[in-house]
Amino acid sequence: MLSDRVRRNLASEFRGSILAKLGVVLVLLVVFVAIFAPFVAPHDPTTQSLDNAERPPLGIVQTEQRTTSEMVDGEVQTVTETVTIRPDAAHPLGTDGLGRDMLSRVIYGARTSLIVGVLGTVLAATVGVPVGLIAGYYRGRIDDGLMRFADVSLAFPSLVLAIALIGLWGRASVAVPDPFVAAGFAQEMPETFVLPGTVIVVVGVVNWVWFARIARGEALSLRDQEYVTAARALGADDSRIIAGHVLPNAITPIIVLGTVQVAAIILLESSLSFLGFSGTTLSWGFDISQGRDYVSSGQWWIAGMPGLAIMVAVIGINLIGDWLRDALDPGIEGEGGA
Amino acid sequence: MSQGRFVAKRVFQGVGVVWGVVSIVFVLRFVTPGSAINAVAPLDADQETRQAIARELGLDQPLHVQYGDYLVSLLQGDMGFSYVRGQEVATLVFSKLPATVELALAATVVAIGLSIPLGVVSATRRNQPVDWLATLFSLGGISTPNFWLGIMLILLLAVQFDIFQTSGRAVAAVEVAAAVVGPAPFVDRLQAWLAHITLPAVALGTYFMALVTRLTRSGMLDELGKPYVRAARAKGLPEVVVRYKHALRNTLIPVITVLGLQLGTLIGGAVITEAVFSWPGLGTLVIDSINLRDWPVLQGSLIVIGTSFVLVNIFVDVVYSALDPRVVND
Repeated sequence: MLSDRVRRNLASEFRGSILAKLGVVLVLLVVFVAIFAPFVAPHDPTTQSLDNAERPPLGIVQTEQRTTSEMVDGEVQTVTETVTIRPDAAHPLGTDGLGRDMLSRVIYGARTSLIVGVLGTVLAATVGVPVGLIAGYYRGRIDDGLMRFADVSLAFPSLVLAIALIGLWGRASVAVPDPFVAAGFAQEMPETFVLPGTVIVVVGVVNWVWFARIARGEALSLRDQEYVTAARALGADDSRIIAGHVLPNAITPIIVLGTVQVAAIILLESSLSFLGFSGTTLSWGFDISQGRDYVSSGQWWIAGMPGLAIMVAVIGINLIGDWLRDALDPGIEGEGGA
Repeated sequence: MSQGRFVAKRVFQGVGVVWGVVSIVFVLRFVTPGSAINAVAPLDADQETRQAIARELGLDQPLHVQYGDYLVSLLQGDMGFSYVRGQEVATLVFSKLPATVELALAATVVAIGLSIPLGVVSATRRNQPVDWLATLFSLGGISTPNFWLGIMLILLLAVQFDIFQTSGRAVAAVEVAAAVVGPAPFVDRLQAWLAHITLPAVALGTYFMALVTRLTRSGMLDELGKPYVRAARAKGLPEVVVRYKHALRNTLIPVITVLGLQLGTLIGGAVITEAVFSWPGLGTLVIDSINLRDWPVLQGSLIVIGTSFVLVNIFVDVVYSALDPRVVND
């Protein structure tokens, strides 16, 4: 699909850039833990243990004022004592308010983020790219209609439109069996994985216009190239020209956009989960909303850890996006360093 | 084409987009599960109330009549009635709009005020420690969820150090301004305003700060390498003039385009930032309306949000045409 020249550019840009390498390492890390979550996670992320709640991450000792009341000789006595909570090596990132292991939750949360990010982007591209190519290739009324529609959709912020659609459609989710657990390779892990179906559809619906716009722009400039005219002169029909000649030459900006969109959709998904619109309770955004209640009492890690996980994933993807843009699209000035 | 005709053309196109926004919101009524009455009537409404509402909304009329009535009433400033809250939708939505505008403006000031100098410094001291810091900062900024940043800011600066307030909006910016001339204590009001708005503005503005820093840096690098900059230097212009009058001005043109396109992200970001800081604006209203199943208010908010986006983009285009007269002739 990619020409030799493009491959060479990618390789040379990669060799010269520390940030590109860092991006690949971060993304591989996130993809690895997401796929192999049942093996990597030390505990079942949904197991509660109230005796073990609010335990700080390794290296941090938390002191807390606890007030207890008890009946002594028929009178209520309130005792305030300072409790010291020490970290536990079994929970390196600490535990949340219900004693669930933060590390395991962060690892399982990677699954939700990546699945929504990738499937949402694929859905948006599957709808947007053909529509954009057809509009740009034929121009005329189809094109005008698409561009006006694109203008109107862009007037709604993605998050607002997504919230509205989920509000109207409800938040359906599907429980998919975890293949590793079903095959008996991993024990004491959740048997199913909740796929937030509505969220995937909604983020695709909200973002397809970006793909349509870029594909349309490419098709507009490619339709009058000599090789397209030549193919037309040889009697190739339009669908063949669009699929065989226009699309392959429009693919690089689409790939660059796709990369950035995965990052944008991960952020969008986390916002939706944070607001409680997602349909799954195993997600970074959801954990941040749970952790918010503990901020005033000082348990920063419950909201802090999943947020750091989002940053790691999104920084990694953005670095890869910068690398691809610098390598594939010399026309756009890169921002990544050298 | 003259500047005036350009503006007129943009306004005309803007009206078309607003019409599209309104039409999409009208259609949304019908993708609600169940009948359109479910979208409007309170959940506990009895059959009689439901029929009364249906008659009042004209839901027994053919679609094109409903659509026409809908457009006419919108033009008269009537966005319908919230049966859940017992209030006119327009009154409610416009009472919440100023808080959101204020927050978005404050975030924009934070973002633009810091990012353009940072981008310029970063570009002129390329590959020096300052540049690396700015690059890392902007990478982090575009990759951090703003609601999480907001929570972490609350944790550090409101809970641990008690400098700012964790939530709410004490006074409006207008009230602070009024205190300059009026009898009210100006300093107290200003302090109260800053204590409430600073954290949400920073949380919301950080993404844009990072984005504009990146764009300014790469744009400046691009411009500083061009022949006209060499010519300006060669004729002995001071470096300050070369950088800020010549290079920066040309850099800002693409920056403004991107800002216009990203405005939706700013408004979307405001929705969630408001949720984190309990800021009483449109975002809070949208989320509450979904949880209350108050569709008329949701629809009204969507129309106002979409229309604001169009208005600000027209404004951006007018500024753009002043900076770069070439676009007028496109």
